[in-house]
Amino acid sequence: MTHNAMIDEWYPVGLFSKLDAAGRKTALMGEPIDVARDAEGNAKVTEGNGRPLPVRVRYGHVWSSLGAPQKALFAIPEADQAGRRFVDVGVVRVRCSPLRAVENFLDIAHFPFVHTDILGAEPHTEVQNYKVEIRDDEVWATQVKFYQPQAAKSASGGITTEYMYRVPAPTCAVLYKTCPPRPSEWDVITLFVQPLAEDLCDVWPWMALFDDTTSLTDLIHFQQTIFLQDRSILENQIPRLLPLDPGMEIPTRADLTSVAYRRWLKRHDYTYGAQLVAQ
Amino acid sequence: MKLYDYILSPSCYKVRLMAALTCVKLDIRPVDFHPGAEHRGPELMALNPAGSIPILEDADLILTESSAMLVYLAARAAPEWLGSGAAEETARVQQWLSFSNRLTASLGGARLHEMLLRPGDITALQAQGIAALRELEAGLVEQGLRGMRFLASDRPTVADIACFPYVALAPDGGVSLAPYPAIRLWSRALRSLENFIEMPGIHRLHELKPDPHIEPDGA
Amino acid sequence: MLPDTTGSWTPVALSADLPAGTVMPAWTPAGSNALWRSDSGRTAASADRCPHRGMRLSHGFVRGEALSCIYHGWSYARAGNCLRIPAHPGLAPPETIRVATQRVEESDGLIWVAVGEPAAAPPRLEGLVPLRSLTAHASVAALETAAGATAGPEGIVWKVQASQTIRLLLAAQEDDQTLIHVLLRDNSSPAQRIAASRAAETLRRAAEALQAKGIAP
Repeated sequence: MTHNAMIDEWYPVGLFSKLDAAGRKTALMGEPIDVARDAEGNAKVTEGNGRPLPVRVRYGHVWSSLGAPQKALFAIPEADQAGRRFVDVGVVRVRCSPLRAVENFLDIAHFPFVHTDILGAEPHTEVQNYKVEIRDDEVWATQVKFYQPQAAKSASGGITTEYMYRVPAPTCAVLYKTCPPRPSEWDVITLFVQPLAEDLCDVWPWMALFDDTTSLTDLIHFQQTIFLQDRSILENQIPRLLPLDPGMEIPTRADLTSVAYRRWLKRHDYTYGAQLVAQ
Repeated sequence: MKLYDYILSPSCYKVRLMAALTCVKLDIRPVDFHPGAEHRGPELMALNPAGSIPILEDADLILTESSAMLVYLAARAAPEWLGSGAAEETARVQQWLSFSNRLTASLGGARLHEMLLRPGDITALQAQGIAALRELEAGLVEQGLRGMRFLASDRPTVADIACFPYVALAPDGGVSLAPYPAIRLWSRALRSLENFIEMPGIHRLHELKPDPHIEPDGA
Repeated sequence: MLPDTTGSWTPVALSADLPAGTVMPAWTPAGSNALWRSDSGRTAASADRCPHRGMRLSHGFVRGEALSCIYHGWSYARAGNCLRIPAHPGLAPPETIRVATQRVEESDGLIWVAVGEPAAAPPRLEGLVPLRSLTAHASVAALETAAGATAGPEGIVWKVQASQTIRLLLAAQEDDQTLIHVLLRDNSSPAQRIAASRAAETLRRAAEALQAKGIAP
């Protein structure tokens, strides 16, 4: 068993607003599970053999674990901030390692080529130096700046956007980015990844934004557009699993967040979805 | 002209693409198809009892079949996209317009299953998708031998636009496009058209723009 | 595949199916390749994996004399060395960043990729023109059985009808699939070419039926 350390973590397993009594048959780390709403309206998660699993409802999603979580689900203070709109973007399945999905979310250098004319455009391809640190045992990248033609649905022209990235759990990442309508605040965009298997995942983006003008559907479509552009990349990386052997892939200075993420995974033995030795 | 649209729907994309190619401005009304299932809600069911999108509304005209929308846009703005009117060409346009429904059912079904978790027999959907791609490939090979680059003629028609999206997005449903050289060339020819637009899953042909890092010089 | 003592050549594509400025995937027993043709018309076969993040280079794009990865735009020369990393425009990529390459030869309208170091050139197919390539979910053996002929060093000579002979070059692929290149005499009429394309589809159906029934040798 290589995934012991990850078994006690919390994972997203469904949208709370979409739960019904019939339940959602899904999987968590290879085990079939059922996510349903019970008679009292509470979320209920059971393993295939009927064993009840721990449940939390937070950030629009139902969270569960096959093990015995020692820690509370990570905090996103902005989720309790008045004036924000909370957007359930919905699920997208991707045939890739859950860790590859998170690593891609932490990457900005691909914007001009994959999210062309939205999050990036040639010739603005340079990634300037930024800071990476481990803060309270989370990976943090700050002072990340990138020129974007249309950074958000509410943006009308090109701006240099500032980002902060945070990895609070092995398959979850939180992005804080410049909020055009409210310069003193950060928009929050998250990627919650449900590991179905080591090479298959359900991805649940979620947002907490200051944006009173854009319709909810437009906000959902914008984020789905971005993620679907990534999906065709994620399904064509070789190997499917995330290589933790440093010799297997070549990082540059632009990849410092990814380097820190891989090291953090390795240090915690978070290796479900990882390839440890070059093959 | 108002299009009830979902950004990830290849059928909606057909209409957006056709409008872009024929320089028609659409009034886009985004529909929360996923996760909201708004297309099954009362407002849209009143327009289209079948509960599908796209829906194209133009005054008294309400269209719910994407092929009809392509024909309408072409007839209104750019009739050359309907073909020359010659008997054989007209028949080929109709042949591939009808055929495009098989792409929707097979490759589209596989894509919804693999990407948005919709129910379906994935093995059967993928096998039907491969069968349809082989027919399209053979059709394009034969057109090539007749000296024509597109499905019905040597210029693109509504038939090409009806078939292109589900074909280009076949990999989203786990169906590889690697075995189809004629489809690859045809797809590239369509993506190189002036005013072509993408949808998520169809990336930009970056080679159509010169390398911005090479100074234009006389060396 | 045509083995000699030091290596072999795999016919991977028709020249006409790889125009200048394009890339396509091509598999040989040595692995997956991104087969590409530069704007000036030169072909190259690079390993189909960008060493940066493992993305398939066959999804990339060709500008000028370089192949670029679609993920981050890292670009590579025909010799495999990395030319440019767009995230760091001022950086000259170190020599250590490179993709493996294979020899490519092009003759008589076909593109061949080397496996190993073949001493001789790929076989010539004079008097023939390539018609199309197609992939069968059937083994080389099943195709030979369906055609009633055995593949020699220059493929299968397949008598479709008394009046028409078609040449088939077969290249085994992964997962028991076979890439078939169909060639005809260069004086074939357009009608004969269309008939040959349809005959190849019929042969594929027959071979796949044999394969599915498990009665191929």
